[in-house]
Amino acid sequence: MWRNTPTRFGLLTRALHWTMALLIFALLALGTTLANIQPGLANLWLYGLHKTLGFIALSLCLIRLIWHFYSPPPPPIGPARALTNRLARATHTSIYLLLLAIPLSGWVASAASGLDVVIFGHITLPAIAPVSAAWEDTGFALHGLLTKALMALLFAHIAGASLRGLKHDGTLRRMIHGSTSTD
Amino acid sequence: MRALILMLALASPATTATATPTSYALQPALSSVGFETDFGPDLITGRMPVTRADLTLDFANVSASHVAVTLNVQGAEASFPFAAQAMKGPKVLDSVDYPEIRFESTAVHKSGDGATVEGRVTIRGVTHNMVMQAAFWRQKGHEAGDLSHLTIRLTGAVNRSDFGATGWADMVGDQVRLDILARIERTN
Repeated sequence: MWRNTPTRFGLLTRALHWTMALLIFALLALGTTLANIQPGLANLWLYGLHKTLGFIALSLCLIRLIWHFYSPPPPPIGPARALTNRLARATHTSIYLLLLAIPLSGWVASAASGLDVVIFGHITLPAIAPVSAAWEDTGFALHGLLTKALMALLFAHIAGASLRGLKHDGTLRRMIHGSTSTD
Repeated sequence: MRALILMLALASPATTATATPTSYALQPALSSVGFETDFGPDLITGRMPVTRADLTLDFANVSASHVAVTLNVQGAEASFPFAAQAMKGPKVLDSVDYPEIRFESTAVHKSGDGATVEGRVTIRGVTHNMVMQAAFWRQKGHEAGDLSHLTIRLTGAVNRSDFGATGWADMVGDQVRLDILARIERTN
């Protein structure tokens, strides 16, 4: 039930997928909000929340990659060399890379600002970058740029999954229920 | 009113004890250096300890007075932890490389009930002119004419960008308002 098989997504992979989906959309909404508000004492806690959720997303992404190393997910439905499947694999790989790079770039930029990176209100993460205006500016620029790239890829991912869902090829059902209707 | 009474008393020929410059020492436990700056719709407030204060006051000839104060940047506290860390960090006061702020008067003028103190302030190794307003009071429990224990309130403002302290300029105001309450006792 927990493990993936050559045709099924196990419960852990599905739970990670949907939990991360909710988390990423919450982070995108929160990050966009933070980029457009005037900071003040009343909303200072939102910055801490963004860092906490970002750290959770990074952790879940690493857990998912490690889990897939031990329990590989099934390949996309249909011929492996089909253009849609090659595009799907490229999109998935890119999303994974961005889910690692975006929180890391935010962590680097925050550490480079000279301020502690605090999550859950009291846990201080190690400073993974020197205190430097150049590191900070580059880190935040990358954080914003990569986030926009993630938004575009998520749009492509959701559009592709929705099209497959409309075609009833089993892809969407497999990520919700574990197996296709014909399994 | 007490300040006015003090100034009138000090201007009186009867106050012969103050006819010459008098040295005063800071009472650190009873003194504080407060500051505030804008943070969006709110204020960041805080305090900074005084490392050293040399004060020579001449109430008969105010222009002969001299004030030199050194503040301990690394000991600064702010109204919330991030503000203190940001303020002491390299983007603002850079307390590692510049652990002190120093103010030294260059001219003191009588002004109303108090005085105007012109001087040079050094922050982050950059020195600029600064003007502070001073008001004086006798400390509570001391008789009129007893100038052995005084309270001085110095107020003024600096623009942190003038000193290269430009960090978080999009979030935190440029002007930093100072409110120094120094309680001093005569040493000679």
